Amino acid sequence: MARLIRTEKEVEGRFEEIWLVIEEDPLQQWPAGPRDVVGRPATRQDGPQRVRGEAAYTSDLQLPGMLHTAILRSPFAHARVNRIDFAAALALPGVRGALGPGEATGLDEEAGYVGAPVAAVAADTFAQARAALDAIAVDWEELEAVLDPHEAVAREIFTAPPTRYERGDFERALAEADVVVEGTYRTSVVLHNSMETHQAVCEWVGDTLNVYISTQYIWGIRAEIAEALEMPADKVRVVCEFMGGGFGAKNGAGEYTFAAAELARRTGRPVRCALTRREENAAAGNRNATIQKLTVGARSDGTIVAFGGEFVNAVGWSGWSTMTEGPMKMLYACDNVRTVRYGAKINTPPMKAFRAPGFVEGTFGLECLVDELAAKLELDPLELRRLNYAESNDGTPYSSKGLAACYDLAQKHWDRRDEVRARSGSTWKHGVGMASQIWFGGGGPPSYAWTRVGSDGRVAVVTAMQDIGTGTRTVMAQICAEELGVPLDRVEVVLGDSARGPYATLSAGSSTVPSVGPAVRAAAADAKRQIVEIAAQRYDLEERVLDIRGGVIVSADGNLSVPLEELLGVLGDAQILGKGARGPNPTGMSVNTFGVQVAEVAVDIETGEVRVVRVAAVHDVGRIINPLGARSQVEGGIIQGVGHSLSEQRLLDPKTGRVLTTTLESYRMPTIADVPEIVCEFVDLPDEHLTSLGSKGLGEPPIVPTAAAIANAIRDATGADVHELPITREEMLRALREAEQRANAGAKETVAAR
Amino acid sequence: MHGGTEVVPLLRDGILEGDTLVDVRGIVPRGVDGARVGAGTTLAELAASEDVPEALREACRLAASPQLRTMSSVGGNLLQSTRCWYWRLKYPCRLHGGDVCHAREGEHREHAIFANDFCASAHPSDVAAALLALGARLRTNRRELPLEELYRLPDEGDRTTTALAPGELILELELPPADASVYLKAMDRQRWAFPQVGVAVARSGGEVRIALAGVAPVPWLLDGPGGLDSATPLPRTAWKVEVARALVRRALERVA
Repeated sequence: MARLIRTEKEVEGRFEEIWLVIEEDPLQQWPAGPRDVVGRPATRQDGPQRVRGEAAYTSDLQLPGMLHTAILRSPFAHARVNRIDFAAALALPGVRGALGPGEATGLDEEAGYVGAPVAAVAADTFAQARAALDAIAVDWEELEAVLDPHEAVAREIFTAPPTRYERGDFERALAEADVVVEGTYRTSVVLHNSMETHQAVCEWVGDTLNVYISTQYIWGIRAEIAEALEMPADKVRVVCEFMGGGFGAKNGAGEYTFAAAELARRTGRPVRCALTRREENAAAGNRNATIQKLTVGARSDGTIVAFGGEFVNAVGWSGWSTMTEGPMKMLYACDNVRTVRYGAKINTPPMKAFRAPGFVEGTFGLECLVDELAAKLELDPLELRRLNYAESNDGTPYSSKGLAACYDLAQKHWDRRDEVRARSGSTWKHGVGMASQIWFGGGGPPSYAWTRVGSDGRVAVVTAMQDIGTGTRTVMAQICAEELGVPLDRVEVVLGDSARGPYATLSAGSSTVPSVGPAVRAAAADAKRQIVEIAAQRYDLEERVLDIRGGVIVSADGNLSVPLEELLGVLGDAQILGKGARGPNPTGMSVNTFGVQVAEVAVDIETGEVRVVRVAAVHDVGRIINPLGARSQVEGGIIQGVGHSLSEQRLLDPKTGRVLTTTLESYRMPTIADVPEIVCEFVDLPDEHLTSLGSKGLGEPPIVPTAAAIANAIRDATGADVHELPITREEMLRALREAEQRANAGAKETVAAR
Repeated sequence: MHGGTEVVPLLRDGILEGDTLVDVRGIVPRGVDGARVGAGTTLAELAASEDVPEALREACRLAASPQLRTMSSVGGNLLQSTRCWYWRLKYPCRLHGGDVCHAREGEHREHAIFANDFCASAHPSDVAAALLALGARLRTNRRELPLEELYRLPDEGDRTTTALAPGELILELELPPADASVYLKAMDRQRWAFPQVGVAVARSGGEVRIALAGVAPVPWLLDGPGGLDSATPLPRTAWKVEVARALVRRALERVA
């Protein structure tokens, strides 16, 4: 029976209450440990297609008569379009249409940053569209631009009112602390740089709009477009079968979607709007910079008694102010915490969610601060973490917490310290550092799936979800195969089309496995139940003695053994159809993911070069469905974390606010040669309170602690405190010089250069 | 145009404009013949050649990416333009004929520590520094000249950084023998990055030449290790002096 309830949903650390229709999810979790299919490594189902170049991404799509769009972007950090004239542009060869400010969502009259979209032109070729941009006559009125986040804070120019948090009595606890450590930490703007840029192809077929788009949220695009164009949502079809990465930047529609839809409507032709790599890096979103002034107070036995922080998020022109203070509030047991967070609204390209938004930045500051505390207290950093273990989330119990298990598994990596330090020579110093992390990842309702079993015994899982490159397609196949009892290669996953399948949630916030997975299992269970019912009738046995294993219907006493296709073959064209839905999250519990990373680095103390030699990652995300896919996620997160830590930085011209690092040679991400040795372990125990799977999401956790682990390893190797990301040679040399001055001044140095 | 790895991006960005592209691959010599290196020889070929001094081999090996090394000619590499983001984004800077160096007032952390008063751009060629240290000579279709005469600092009257006349083509390099040579490169990832600081040192008998990449608008011959004392770093390029000192010291130790 369908039930209507109120429940809480979390995405990217933001919570909302929603209404939900549920069928009870009566499936019991599988006991811990690898099963027939789930918990065993599986190669990507779509791997061969991708590698052979057969996978059709949005960027591959060519529709007959398709036009190409170029976007006119503001050259000023803050300006208004007073007048715009397309006459000359429209007269150019191949140009078929143009949109000005206000004619499509995302094209605005007020440009709040260099690169803000104000107009769009469609032409037969992209070159013609680009040439037409120069012919658009614009009357710009330049306005005052604020580029400095501190100035914005001083003038109270915010994207939202400041967020204040307090528990306990911070002032008193700090005054009573034996030891206080303070520091200011800075993180830089980093760019997503997904392989496929933001793009969409829009095509009207009658009064239906087909939107082919590189997106993380098929259903969200559908709703946004329907609302913007004031049309029924089921007249909008959104397709995304293969997608070249998003990392959070593609959670919603943008000017490239709305402009394409409107130009397609006006011209009657399909229209592509694709950002170039330079536009991508200039304006398509970023992880915002932060400045964090942090304080920790502790007793001399290592008990942390007070945490305080003032966080400035340099949000940009728009976007949201992420919970940079989250780790400080949540990671450790501390009764007295006081934080304030400012979202500085400045005339720079707006932030967009980027893989654990706020928590990567906040974990860097926090875990460096805690490590500096350990140094001051002369305590082992891992012991200090254990000492301040939080048994609950400020009173709310965790649905499951395997952080202690992570620490235990990390111990052997941590114990390599002496061996690693011994490799130090006169110029290269080696050290080991760690950082722990907390994040979300419980997913939530709604999400749905269908299972279709044909008389040939082959299975299709149908759900209109997206696989953004995380390998969720394969995970869903595994869950279905496990529940149904068929070999993995009998299961195909059909996804990526809102016209062909039920609703699935956004692929962000580490949500897909914990949200869609249980729905897939429920749908498979529904199909299995029907198959067993049929078999019971066919073979005159009781349902409770029947099972399906390896694609064969078996009876408990072993007398029956019938291949599935033999039973179902009698059905002819009939099919078994199962359906399933994601049930509610546990109430009154905090659903979180946890992890530890131990980094080994080598630092050339004369040139400031930092090499990350090895990262050992231990993560607790509940049950692991695909150990091979999970490894890939951890490796990818760590590599991206290494980039954040050492070489990635979006630079702006301080005078004009223009992005200077728009190309891939000026914005430098790790190459294969920069990848450290990565050792990956999972606690892999199901969260017994969370759905029929006990699985949480793994998309974000692996990137959260990497930068801090590296910075702490640098401290171990050299005694130098780096307080800024990326740790450029300039920053490394500054920190080394400062450490040397401290040592010379005779100040108490806890970790001397070896 | 030879390999096109420099010209094509400049055309695409509208920094270079032209109606006609001339493919010179058929007329520029290619290959290593004793001390003579055709200007059309690729970086990949030089990196693999045993006949070529260590500094040049290393400079080629550490430059760019495998794909770029396969396409790019050593002659073209010598003539490449700065990676200064203001220049590449066509700001009306001094090199583009304007009267301001935007980097000096703005974002200059990858820029020059020498001769940076008029223009603070850094020369990106590892190979040029290696060849400069090796004392290479060029033969063009018009004349022969030591490599250092190919380069000039831009000034009020002439904003170019190379001294080739229109219609002049580099055909060949001549490398005097070196007893020992080395190229050390500081970059901010392990591969595929331009030099933050590149140091080439070559010793011939008792004579030692030191040349730096990434520190001036042109490849920079250093007047001994003490030459770094007369560096004129900008506020955010001072760190390059420190890196250069260490690399120069190490390079000298390697060739001693």
